[in-house]
Amino acid sequence: MPDEADNGYDIVIDVDLSKRTSELADRNLELLDEHGVRAIDVLGSVGSGKTTLINGLIDQLKPRMSIAVIAGDITTRIDAERIEVQGVPVVQIQTGGACHLDGEIVRRGMQRLDLDAIDLLIVENVGNLICPAAFPIGAHKRLLVLSVTEGPYMAVKHPIMVRQADVAVINKIDLAEAMRVDVDRLMADVRQVNPEIEVVTTVARDGEGIADVVAALGL
Amino acid sequence: MRATARESRTWWRPWGCESMHDVTAARQIARTVLQAAEQQGAGRVEKVRIVLGAMQMIDPEQLEFWLEQILRGSAGEGAEIEIRRNPLTVRCRACGWEGELEVPDDPIYHLMPWIPECPACRAEELQVLGGDELTVESIRVREAEGADEDA
Ligand SMILES: Nc1nc2c(ncn2[C@@H]2O[C@H](COP(=O)(O)OP(=O)(O)O)[C@@H](O)[C@H]2O)c(=O)[nH]1
Ligand SMILES: [Mg+2]
Ligand SMILES: [Zn+2]
Repeated sequence: MPDEADNGYDIVIDVDLSKRTSELADRNLELLDEHGVRAIDVLGSVGSGKTTLINGLIDQLKPRMSIAVIAGDITTRIDAERIEVQGVPVVQIQTGGACHLDGEIVRRGMQRLDLDAIDLLIVENVGNLICPAAFPIGAHKRLLVLSVTEGPYMAVKHPIMVRQADVAVINKIDLAEAMRVDVDRLMADVRQVNPEIEVVTTVARDGEGIADVVAALGL
Repeated sequence: MRATARESRTWWRPWGCESMHDVTAARQIARTVLQAAEQQGAGRVEKVRIVLGAMQMIDPEQLEFWLEQILRGSAGEGAEIEIRRNPLTVRCRACGWEGELEVPDDPIYHLMPWIPECPACRAEELQVLGGDELTVESIRVREAEGADEDA
């Protein structure tokens, strides 16, 4: 009860700011759906082959859909330049050293694209398997790129990321023998952590297995 | 193929990420508070009530400090900041155990995920019931100068 001299009162707000991350991602999904764009979030360590795989996907899909790429590399434009030579629009986003993309950063990237003119948006996330797991950007599918050169324990060491991916690619299987990595074992590990995930093996550099990735993504 | 932002699966937050750290969190709180006060035509904000979940890895003293700094020169300058801490409470999806878990205070978890397990059956499939929030609950405000007295 406010006393006579006091004209103060309470305003109930009850807003949980920690839910903002997923709300932003949901809003991105809505915007993408409005414009009929499908979005794929590509995740994986630095050097696992994300950019190479994205180029392979573009090669295969370019004849039947128009594609744009958001490249989230931390500081350089190298990846963007590698993709631009394919003639698809690339938006380079500077995360300013941040270890992940988030819904807000991706939204700003989307605003620089003509969404009505594209069917597929591929987002190359920052090369880190820890933080991006907690930050949905608003993509229809999450594609996780592991490579045998990262050793045999990638799946068990990053269970949260594996659980949140829809498709896992095990790349660079041409190097499995040299690395003494058992690819079947790695695939089994991935499936054990996430029984619903689709697992595909590739040699992205040579275009091997790309068609399987396309199928697994439902594209 | 409309999927989701998977809120239900994304309950873990890495400590190393700045996204919800002290300054960012303080900025978001300040924005939320000042917006609400303005919408209601309030004059000054006298008190801000916040619930801070243990999973947020935010130091309450840092949060208070930054919030005070950010509110300077606004309608919220000098407001009392009340922070209520909420422990991590979970329910095990495997065995149904329900209770509070201690969030470890170890810098290693800035670099790698902390994966809590059920104290009863060791399962890692835990549903978070509380303790992951950063909620602006309510504010106490004073009517703007010259506003009519409520009858
Ligand atoms: N041997 C081999 N090398 C690959 C394969 N895919 C990519 N690479 C190489 O791995 C390096 C890193 O690839 P990149 O696509 O830049 O990885 P990103 O950092 O994840 O984007 C490059 O030198 C690629 O040529 C593969 O399937 N086999
Ligand atoms: Mg790359
Ligand atoms: Zn249990």
